[in-house]
Amino acid sequence: MSVSNLLENWSKFRHTHPVEDKGHPDWEAYPSDIKWAMAIDLDACTGCNACSVACYAENNLPVVGKEKYSHGQAMHWMRIERYWDESESGFEVDQGARFLPMMCQQCEAAPCETVCPVGATNHTEDGLNSQIYNRCIGSRYCSANCPYKVRYFNWYDYPTTKDVWPSPMNEQLNPDLSVRSKGVMEKCTFCKQRTYVARNNAKTEGRPVQDGDVQTACQEACPAGAITFGNLYDPESKVAQKWQHQQVELTKEKQDKDKTEGNRLRGYRILEELRPYPSVMYLERVRESAV
Amino acid sequence: MQHILRLFILLVGLFAGVGSYAADAAPKLTTPDDLGPQIEQPIEFPHFRHAGDAKDGGMQINCMYCHTYARRSMVAGIPPVQKCIGCHQSIESVRDKPRIKKLFEYWEAKKPIPWKKVHDLPDFVRFNHERHIQRFYFQQDRPYQEVCGYCHGDVKKMTVARRQKPLTMGWCASCHMKDHPISAHSTKTGHGPNDCFTCHK
Amino acid sequence: MKENDFNRRDFLKVLGWGGTAVALSGCGNTSIQDGQEIVTSYVTLPSYVIPSIANYFNSTCAQCDAGCNIMGRVREGRVLKAEGNPNSPINRGKMCGLGQSGVQAHYNPDRIRQPLLKGQAVTWEAALGAINDKLNGVKGEQVAFLTGGMSGHVQALFGNYMDALGSKNHFSYEAISPAVLRVANKKAYGMAMPRYRIDKARVVVSFGADFLGAWVSPVNFAQQYAQFRKGTRPEGRGVLVQVEPKMTLTGANADSWIGIRPGTEGMLALGVINALGSAGIKLPADIAAAVKDYTPERVGVNTGVPFERINKLATLLKERSPSLVLAGDAAEGYVNGSQNALAIAMLNHVLGNVGKTVEAAASVPFPQIAPTVGSRSSLNKLNDGLAAGKYKVVFSYGANPVFSAPAAMKFKDNFVKADFKVAFAQYLDETAQAADLVLPLDSAMEDWGTVVPEYMAAPEGSDADTYAQMSFRQPLMQKLYPDTRGVGDILLALLKQRKADEYKDFEDFYSYLHNAVLKNKVALGGKTTDDDDIFWDETLSKGIVPLKGVAGSVSAKMSAADLKLSPATGTDTNYPLRLIPAVSASMRDGRNANEPWLQESPDPLTTVVWDSWVEIHPKTAAKLGIAEGDIVEVASKSGSIKSQAYLFPGIHPDAVSVPVGYGHEGMGRYAKGVGANVFSILDPVFEQETGELALNETNVKISKTGQRVIIVKEEGPLGGSQDGRPKIAVQVQADKVDLSKEV
Repeated sequence: MSVSNLLENWSKFRHTHPVEDKGHPDWEAYPSDIKWAMAIDLDACTGCNACSVACYAENNLPVVGKEKYSHGQAMHWMRIERYWDESESGFEVDQGARFLPMMCQQCEAAPCETVCPVGATNHTEDGLNSQIYNRCIGSRYCSANCPYKVRYFNWYDYPTTKDVWPSPMNEQLNPDLSVRSKGVMEKCTFCKQRTYVARNNAKTEGRPVQDGDVQTACQEACPAGAITFGNLYDPESKVAQKWQHQQVELTKEKQDKDKTEGNRLRGYRILEELRPYPSVMYLERVRESAV
Repeated sequence: MQHILRLFILLVGLFAGVGSYAADAAPKLTTPDDLGPQIEQPIEFPHFRHAGDAKDGGMQINCMYCHTYARRSMVAGIPPVQKCIGCHQSIESVRDKPRIKKLFEYWEAKKPIPWKKVHDLPDFVRFNHERHIQRFYFQQDRPYQEVCGYCHGDVKKMTVARRQKPLTMGWCASCHMKDHPISAHSTKTGHGPNDCFTCHK
Repeated sequence: MKENDFNRRDFLKVLGWGGTAVALSGCGNTSIQDGQEIVTSYVTLPSYVIPSIANYFNSTCAQCDAGCNIMGRVREGRVLKAEGNPNSPINRGKMCGLGQSGVQAHYNPDRIRQPLLKGQAVTWEAALGAINDKLNGVKGEQVAFLTGGMSGHVQALFGNYMDALGSKNHFSYEAISPAVLRVANKKAYGMAMPRYRIDKARVVVSFGADFLGAWVSPVNFAQQYAQFRKGTRPEGRGVLVQVEPKMTLTGANADSWIGIRPGTEGMLALGVINALGSAGIKLPADIAAAVKDYTPERVGVNTGVPFERINKLATLLKERSPSLVLAGDAAEGYVNGSQNALAIAMLNHVLGNVGKTVEAAASVPFPQIAPTVGSRSSLNKLNDGLAAGKYKVVFSYGANPVFSAPAAMKFKDNFVKADFKVAFAQYLDETAQAADLVLPLDSAMEDWGTVVPEYMAAPEGSDADTYAQMSFRQPLMQKLYPDTRGVGDILLALLKQRKADEYKDFEDFYSYLHNAVLKNKVALGGKTTDDDDIFWDETLSKGIVPLKGVAGSVSAKMSAADLKLSPATGTDTNYPLRLIPAVSASMRDGRNANEPWLQESPDPLTTVVWDSWVEIHPKTAAKLGIAEGDIVEVASKSGSIKSQAYLFPGIHPDAVSVPVGYGHEGMGRYAKGVGANVFSILDPVFEQETGELALNETNVKISKTGQRVIIVKEEGPLGGSQDGRPKIAVQVQADKVDLSKEV
């Protein structure tokens, strides 16, 4: 949602459900040819953390240290969650652990957006849930309302905090995005600075953005290639093909395939039933019980 | 052997935070006459001489001859000293002028000229020269003086540039909200991006 | 030269930091008032540099020995990020977290910036002069040089230096290395490091090879693994079985994880061969005889793996061919480690995998640049020599033995006995602290070099048999500090002290490398008619030089004669638990511990950050009355450490595990004092055939200290439970999904 739309439709923004069988909350007002989306194959994901470190490198994430980490103040936009199989007797390890890369799901009807008192987090025409740092006042309502807990608050002014970026470590910082200071919320942006460049270059060349023009940092690093990222509205894109094959539809809160018995597809979205319409599809991890 | 140079680069404003910048300093951003402050540069560069109209004694050089990155990069770029020297080494007539002498001093010392930033946007703003030049200069085919001048003022009449426009968000948005023709040969129009996220990083 | 003719070195000078007048606004808020800041500008600039647009330069990762080909993303003279080189057959454009952190090794605030003689900063002239003085007083055999794994032109130069000194005392040391595997592979397959084709296997049975984490060439294997898991593959989705006493990252990804009793891996392999024989696989007579006594029932009792499971594993392997069986660290770290590895390799022979999923790899045609791999047995030799006072001058480069040698070896005491110790180091680590002279090294992003990987991955194609490669390492930006030097430059300077005439033409290591590459233009893929400068630029810009390698072959047969599997060593009633030092993908042997991204990225399995921990099976913990967060003392015969207890279901109840790489006493602000150093309490027990330190042969006892902490970790209070929510991290059985048509 743009500023003008936000201001003009403030009351509507608060009261109507953003998704009403449209591809995009603002679909009629701002038709877009791009909807960034992701697919993560949990069967390929090995839980190695390469994506997470790549995100630190790309997005100027501060290293908070042990004490602040213990307070839950780690700033990992991309984190790996680890789960165990469970039985009545406790955790089962016969089929290993389950890993889940978790980052902002760029919900189409994002719960965080409706509670921001200043409209600092809102939807962009290319389907991102944006976070405008200089507009953010740090109320943290968005984080409270995020079902995925993927929003991270700057409790400290990290650029001036000891041993976060001691010289010359600060020379590694990426100039394509700001270094956030105390009191603002931040989260995964699907590497906005990279999609921006891809769109810019395509526009200069007078063509639409093509699949492969842009990779997010996590996708680029992932040794197992578990992450697919691209334009969901481009039928040629790999991510759109994956979503289509798995019969996961962006604007549905309950997928048709889940209603049929013996569904043999493994695409799903996390916490879909809360109706945030997330833009990340996961593919179930597969295990064989042959041994 | 001009290329074996040991140089330093000057890098500014790349890692900035956002947020509480207004607290103590609260700099005056505009002067009473609604222009930016007068800024003293290491060399008083005569834009009017280079870019000015022929009738005023200028050479009508295209802005992008020197600010060469404007059409293909976010930043317009300050020309490297080499570019100045490229022409000036064969312009004997002005070699003894104090400004040119100073220029050659920098060249011989192999030091870049520490130009002061005149159009300084906050660090959380992503302004893209390339998009504006592509849209208005290449697609709409408007004169470069007009395209560049919309934000930078009538540079061809200035010495060192002084900020002519407020460069505030409201000022940017006032133009972004207008409909502009898509190209010189089209009647279709479109406005500038309206997403906060496009310009705020 | 033409005015605009930039070469690579000049480029760095143009773009890099240097001089004194760098106006760099620090982190934080910069002014938005006009005229307060200075615009980025240059004196001269190559045409391919456009401010605000990144340039990419190919180089080679130095974070581990896999030698992944990387690209440095360079903006306005600074390297911002490392990304994978898509043309690399090793990592194919991908990178691990450890590799990503290479930029933090480069920008690390704790790097040494000047040569230090007895702790005092000195000039390079003084430092090199001191070395010269010391060397002039000693004989060649009194000089020893300890290095990590090495390859390429630095190694060639190093060899020349050792010759010039008249010393044969080169000790190549790696604290964590597949040294036992190399020897066993040589016997079993005829080559130390064949190519493993996980991507072609239908079943992979890994005996403790953490190929997704820290084993040999993990980024390459992770990509093969992704292929292996694809249901659309002609072979169908592969099945991974992992056998190990402590769950590794690879174990966490297995279809079936078998928590075996430590040290009995080889026996299980023989049991599976026995079961395969019973299932109708024809075994050669000698092998059949060798495995006759290893019935699944008996093996089941000894290994703790139910015999039904052994039979099932045999059935799976019989039905799904080709398969691949791997032997890794967990199987090798015992007195009978190489026998374990041989027994496991025999499984590949029995299953007919050799030649199919175990392929011959080629070696580089130039032996002087071929990798010298490290092992722990060489450290033993050095240690013995030091103890006997044989060495007067000792150099150390790329190794930190004072940290990683077990305390029982008394390495530090022996090391300080030498008259003059020189450490080439980037940080003031434990070995550098014990040295008399410390020479500050360039970071891998400032240095020149070439790298030949030990594990030679090959691109698909007909010439894979003879594919070998050499990778370039080149500076990605100008040096941060004027007084650090590349290892090649230091070696060259040292060589000039000995043989000034031979090396007088080489101003620095760059000119040596440049000359060496151009002299061998044809062998490196060029033509004699190629222009030298163009050839150099193109080679460098690609970063990878494919070489026509010497094709190897894998032996088709393996005799059971070599196999004499001795039973696993038992435990000691005083020390009832087996200690498994865990090698994690990010911390490895601890050389990268001062890179904060690695400290802050959670261990994948325990999710602990910024500390070491003791993994204990919940049952064992209950018996000992230990709860999570209890500070426990882990005591072996050789020493004890204290750390926090973490209750971990993926470990054999008779074992405990502590990660290696933590517990530094030096290095820098991010490593120092974080966790405990488990290397220090390892018993000096050695593998019987190779003399390698048997990492898993230390028995320990655990006792509570009474202290307790809240473990700092990523997982929540539910400790990995999904709390009844069905659709968070979903798992599905393979027969319930249709994978064959997936896109």
